[in-house]
Amino acid sequence: MPEKLFRHVGKSPTRSEAIEKVSGRANYVFDLEFPGMLYAKVLHSPYAHAEILSVDLSEAKALTGVKAILTGEDLPYLLGLYMLDKGILARGKVRYIGEPVVAVAAIDLRTAEKAISLIKVDYKVLPAVLTIDEALKGEILVHKDINDLEYVKNVFFPQPDSNIASWNKAIKGDIKQGFAEADVIIENELSLPAVAHVPLETHVAIAKADPFTKRVEIWTSSQSPFGVRQMLAKALGISQGDVRVVVPHIGGGFGGKAGIHLEPLVVVLSRAARGKPVKIIATREEEFSQLPSRAAMRGRVKTGVKYDGKITASEITFDWDSGAYADYGVNVGRAAQYSGAGAYEIPNLEINSRTLYTNKVYSTAYRGFGHLETHWVIERQMDLIAQALKMDPYEFRMKNILREGSVTISGEIINQYSGRPDQCLAAVAKEIGWTGYRSKEEREVSFKTGKVRGKGIACLQKAPAMPSNTATSALLQFDADGNVRVMIGAIDMGQGAMTVMEQIAAEVLDMPLEKVRVSSETDTDKNPYDWSTVASKYTFMGGKAVTRGAMDMLSQMKEVASQILRCPVDELTHGQEKIFIRQNPHKAVSYQDIAMGYLYDNGNSIGGPIIGRGVYIAEGLTFLDPDKGQGLPALDWTFGAHGVELEVDVETGEVQILKISSAFDVGKAINPKLCEGQIIGGVLQGLGSAFMEGFKFSAEGRLLNPSFMDYKIPTSQDIPTIVVPILIENPQADGPFGARGVGEHPMISVPSVIANALYDALGINFYELPLSSEKIALAIARSEAEHKEPLSE
Amino acid sequence: MFSQFKYVKAQTIDEVLTYLGDRDRCVKILAGGTDLMVLMQRNLETPDCLIDIKGIEEMKRLDFVQGVGLFVGASVTVNQVTESKIILEKYQALGQAAKTLASYQLRNRATLVGNVCNASPGADLAGPLLIFEANVHIASLDGRRVLPLAQFFTGPKKTVLAANELVTGISLPDLSSGDQSLYLKQARVKGHDLGIVGVAMRLTLDQKFLVALSAVAPTPIRLLELEEFLNAHPRTPELATKAGEMVQKLIHPISDVRASAEYRLLIAGVLVKRAVTLLTTREAN
Repeated sequence: MPEKLFRHVGKSPTRSEAIEKVSGRANYVFDLEFPGMLYAKVLHSPYAHAEILSVDLSEAKALTGVKAILTGEDLPYLLGLYMLDKGILARGKVRYIGEPVVAVAAIDLRTAEKAISLIKVDYKVLPAVLTIDEALKGEILVHKDINDLEYVKNVFFPQPDSNIASWNKAIKGDIKQGFAEADVIIENELSLPAVAHVPLETHVAIAKADPFTKRVEIWTSSQSPFGVRQMLAKALGISQGDVRVVVPHIGGGFGGKAGIHLEPLVVVLSRAARGKPVKIIATREEEFSQLPSRAAMRGRVKTGVKYDGKITASEITFDWDSGAYADYGVNVGRAAQYSGAGAYEIPNLEINSRTLYTNKVYSTAYRGFGHLETHWVIERQMDLIAQALKMDPYEFRMKNILREGSVTISGEIINQYSGRPDQCLAAVAKEIGWTGYRSKEEREVSFKTGKVRGKGIACLQKAPAMPSNTATSALLQFDADGNVRVMIGAIDMGQGAMTVMEQIAAEVLDMPLEKVRVSSETDTDKNPYDWSTVASKYTFMGGKAVTRGAMDMLSQMKEVASQILRCPVDELTHGQEKIFIRQNPHKAVSYQDIAMGYLYDNGNSIGGPIIGRGVYIAEGLTFLDPDKGQGLPALDWTFGAHGVELEVDVETGEVQILKISSAFDVGKAINPKLCEGQIIGGVLQGLGSAFMEGFKFSAEGRLLNPSFMDYKIPTSQDIPTIVVPILIENPQADGPFGARGVGEHPMISVPSVIANALYDALGINFYELPLSSEKIALAIARSEAEHKEPLSE
Repeated sequence: MFSQFKYVKAQTIDEVLTYLGDRDRCVKILAGGTDLMVLMQRNLETPDCLIDIKGIEEMKRLDFVQGVGLFVGASVTVNQVTESKIILEKYQALGQAAKTLASYQLRNRATLVGNVCNASPGADLAGPLLIFEANVHIASLDGRRVLPLAQFFTGPKKTVLAANELVTGISLPDLSSGDQSLYLKQARVKGHDLGIVGVAMRLTLDQKFLVALSAVAPTPIRLLELEEFLNAHPRTPELATKAGEMVQKLIHPISDVRASAEYRLLIAGVLVKRAVTLLTTREAN
């Protein structure tokens, strides 16, 4: 369809819930109160690894106002997305500092907190697993029962008697032969620490358990109401119909609210308190130290290349320091299995991705999961190889980048509809005026001024990480006045899903946008099913379901109109909120007249309320071959690239980003303003990972920076001078209007592009995140001391 | 926060002193509360009684008397400091430091005296107050005393204040016009953050340097040795570099979650060098 024919798609209406939010009227779970509501607090483990010998609740129970106290011994339930390895409260053993051990529900927060302070727990401290190497050694096991844990077979591969929650492999071609063909082999190790999601709204949940039936109702700040319903029902042994999950507006998720977190705890507390509603609000400190983070990771990469820059082989090991429970962590490890070599064609490859249990706060999905991390390794390695070959890193990337006909590491053939990473790279290189690395002489001249500038480039790719049968659905209903209400199962946590679905429904129905409304609250009792709002998949999948639902409405209306207009259905068409005869457009009947059933002059009526139904299930995806990781895991690839120019203060190590440009092949931007918003927001979040964010642990495994005092995120003063989003539109043939997802992608490769530019500026390579002013300044000082001249080539 | 406390909004200093003199109670002074509330929220402080001093007229004083100097009462907020014309003109380092302290919202509550009484080694305002040779005005039921700020700090979060004593304000002597000063701070981010190193430096009209650093020792410190060195040497371009090297020998910062000792030393050198350069070139112009 030529662009000019679109009425709403490709336009940028303001987000439909914007006024409600900026005027403070939008309700979040934080705001919700119920009569008789109790407040919960938990007691956290002070040890990284310890046996719980005894718990003395007597004083806490005696406190007036305490309505329920539970320990792990009361709760024989196991939870988990992919591995059932986590209790609602610690049972028998604690596995990280911050793990909830006892929970109290009381008439107010102060009483709950007081009760917590009166609880005495005796622990026997055990040696803890705190590093990747300790985890791999396996002398101490975080989960002694790892051999007996229930898990999703053939997708995840826990190793017996070890700390390896899953070992996912990809093998393509023959790396021995590939390395034998190489002229140069380059090996490097890169790493990055765990980081926090830092949503504006911390985790919060309310539950009300019916004391007379199994029924439970939950209000939660979650990205996955249907996921919570399913996992909770399974854990408690009740039916999914017994569980109602309601999600009003949510204040940010970034993947941290995609699993099941505080919901089971308030459910069991409400049951213990005879059905009184119980609310729990994570404090900011709990958000850091109790609730899951993004895993730390160490990547070891070995690449073989020809002198002409062609990659012949790559061998990569990713080890994920994933904390005490598997949660999404094993799936993060799996993402590396099929996407861990970046947007390049690698003829011979082996990837080993190991998700490891350690005695630290556990990890989960975080915006683009696995990808910022693996691209830190890959996109740095691409520059390091280019340096070794004395080749322009742009040219080197272009020699190996995925193009039509390339085969991905899982065996997928890239075709004309797959998107163009090369165009993204070319666009950002042009935008920042990339002309190759600066020479040693140029660096030395600018070094004397105290401020040096450098440019960098990096590519990226990501496909939704999701089960092969991931599905979504939409229901579209008319009001009597011809307006349309759309119900979806997805959560709008700021990405603009509601607005985009309104645009798509209005486009297909050819209606004014203001007459189409997506309801903002998702209730599993009412809304149609969606797997989970994650993975940058909703514009694609939801867009398809809403398109189909709108088409379903049109075909129902045509059936009715065919009787009214006495005309075969195939002669009918639609437009301007009417169904009409193609040949005689004045012979028409309005949507409004059919919406609830058509009424003839004599009182007869036909039709009935028009309800459109649209579903989408991922098409053609396969399980990956367990030994080699071959198959089709990707619904759609979105490719992208960043280019940056920055300036470094050579004495303090402070960096100012002068310009960052980020291009993504989005297929078709349904709402360009929202796409650009995602790009700007994602880039800034990526700068946090690049420059300042990262958990620091004591020797005992205690998180040393669990608050904003010492866990810094970018402020308005830390942002780049200029951010230039670029939207490239090579349509995805099976995407709605050609669209692909772009929600998570902008964050990926931001740390890589910064480190690449720092090399250009300073001639110094960095291998560990974050790239703090301290790290940069000390590296410059050391380089000066070692070389007695400031900059190496 | 589960402490149950009595809240008193005092009308006079004597009322505050009477409460402070009661040995059976744990009494805390509430001015801005930006440190106290965090501690109470975490149950690290559980006072029986909070005395709010924001209603006392004398505590609101922010006035300058020609030939005498500046008085900043105990309830004067940091934003009032940043907006005071006399401070921005005369006591430049203090005004600059105030603008780097936390965020605008916190500066609306936080007080200058609170920043001093909290006695953080990294207190942004302490360095500037030290180079202006500020005096601390202390009152108790036993009487009043005035103490040089240099004698006020005794360790991290520790001061000479007795349990029954209250700081009513801080005074700074008048300066001759042409007195120049500045405050340089390095933090982890450009936005709202604690300093890794803060350098306050002053060059008086009669060409004397005064230097104080924060976040490099158990308390904010004056660097008398460095001052002597600067005062004893001619204003050559090398002076700044040498001062930067010298400061690194005079201080013994620690490594903590915010920065390593190595980086603190490096930054102290850089900021001292920059401060000397800026003051001497400003002078020359």
